[in-house]
Amino acid sequence: MRTISMQRNILLFSFLFLPVLLLLMFVLYPLFELIRLSFTDWNGMDAKQVYIGFDNYIKMFTDSSDVWLSLRNNGFYFIFHFLMIPLELAIAVVLDSKIRASKFFKTIVFMPYIINGVAISYMFAFFYSPINGGLNGILEVLGLESLIQNWLTNESIVNLSLVFVSIWRFSGFHVILFLAGLQAIPQDQFEAAKIDGASSTQNFWYIIVPGVKKVLEVLLFLNVVGALQVFDIPYIMTQGGPGHASSTFTLYTLETAFKFNNFGMASAMGITMLVLIIVLNSVQKRLFNLKGVDEE
Amino acid sequence: MTPRLGVAVKKLAVYSILITICLIVFIPLLITLFASFKTSMEIGSEFSLKPPASFDFDNYGVVLDKGKFLQGFGNSMFLVAVSVVINSLIGTMTAYAINRFDFRLKKIILGLFVAGMIMPGMITEISRFTVIKNLGLYNTIWAPILIYAAANLVQLYIYTQFINGIPKELDESAMLDGCSYFTVFNKMIFPLLLPATATLGIIKAVDVMNDMYVPYLYMPSSSLRTLTTTLMYFSSSKFGSWDYLSAAIILVMLPTLLIYLLFSKYIFKGIVAGAVKG
Repeated sequence: MRTISMQRNILLFSFLFLPVLLLLMFVLYPLFELIRLSFTDWNGMDAKQVYIGFDNYIKMFTDSSDVWLSLRNNGFYFIFHFLMIPLELAIAVVLDSKIRASKFFKTIVFMPYIINGVAISYMFAFFYSPINGGLNGILEVLGLESLIQNWLTNESIVNLSLVFVSIWRFSGFHVILFLAGLQAIPQDQFEAAKIDGASSTQNFWYIIVPGVKKVLEVLLFLNVVGALQVFDIPYIMTQGGPGHASSTFTLYTLETAFKFNNFGMASAMGITMLVLIIVLNSVQKRLFNLKGVDEE
Repeated sequence: MTPRLGVAVKKLAVYSILITICLIVFIPLLITLFASFKTSMEIGSEFSLKPPASFDFDNYGVVLDKGKFLQGFGNSMFLVAVSVVINSLIGTMTAYAINRFDFRLKKIILGLFVAGMIMPGMITEISRFTVIKNLGLYNTIWAPILIYAAANLVQLYIYTQFINGIPKELDESAMLDGCSYFTVFNKMIFPLLLPATATLGIIKAVDVMNDMYVPYLYMPSSSLRTLTTTLMYFSSSKFGSWDYLSAAIILVMLPTLLIYLLFSKYIFKGIVAGAVKG
């Protein structure tokens, strides 16, 4: 018996040592370090770190309008992805019904999510390009010359152009999640509803919506996290420009740290993002429960 | 409207929606693919959706010659291979320890895993960066390997679900036959988890290959560029005109697309398990 318990302890230690060490080094320690750094004026290189209290937090929201502008841009991604959710659910319902070639369509719908995001960003930079770009060319052929734009340099539409890329890339992923949720709904619920003479609208509200509630919750969470972390699309396509017109909170944070060597301020921004994620997510959750999506 | 006509109209609506989606997905891809076979002149003068006059691979030749994409591909493959192996070992071992044993600190350790799962890496980027620097790993291939190993613990959840499906009686009867815990893991648990490992390995491979953020931030050295960061540098080089860049974009897209078309079943399964059941 003693050897068994010793064996057990050796196993637990040897199996868990590495993962726990990694978590401590790359998740827990960085979190505490981030909190500490957010109260300093560290520039990322010198050994000198002076504690300056809440200065970074105060400065972040009062000194620079670019932070607010960047946050507003994150808002664009959040709202448009949010508005896409009903459509994504509808597409999932269609793919779930008995249609011909549903497997083919499913493969196509999900494909953008798998493609390299940087390659996608360059592809769309080409698509939107004012010189020989695909989109303006198509508009010309369709006789819609009046809609031709500088898609990435016009301040009032650059964010919408970028949001479209994000939707192109991620919507299929949401559809597939909904599809999985739909397929997990027991078929007998639909049969019972049929016997009771339920309409397809009733089916939708009383079987499908509650059935995908779990997916919806995950999606709403992913949307908050994803929208606040948008980085590669604007970074590659516009560098946040023109000016800061298409900057995002993450892009701005990384610029603050690695371009302007203000690690203290950037840390405060990281903490702010964490708080935003927690707050927005719980508000969102509460709102949805109030609406009674979880009638079960 | 007769019911039959109603069904027909509904079908028409459904297919037109699906075909519209396909067009939206394919148009930008096709434009880029076509441009990759055209000269700069042709791109300037022709309609972008007009197929190229001939499919010659001149642009691809220049890209491969000047862009160091083969080196990038090699680095990406190395990262993929090491990360997938490390991940499958850490994932199965942790799942075994957590699922089959009760021990002190179990709750704390589990909490740590959940924290790591929920917290997006970008938030702690600033301080994670200093950790890597202090370890002396900045600008080495080991920086992303460690970060990938620590990240994405969603995998653990999936493994735990799979291991739950393996009856504990199997472990016990093996132990009665005189096997040690280690033998149980090596000879039984690990092999029985291989289907999960395949799914998760493919997803991890796609993730690692598509990641731009970690290699860009942690490996600026030109000899360490991955496929993704090679594309970034190529675009800002003097070869960054649309003819060459289109060919480079297609080249970078190919590996993951190929994986997707070959293994889409596994990918669907893993993505869904990670997001829905997690």
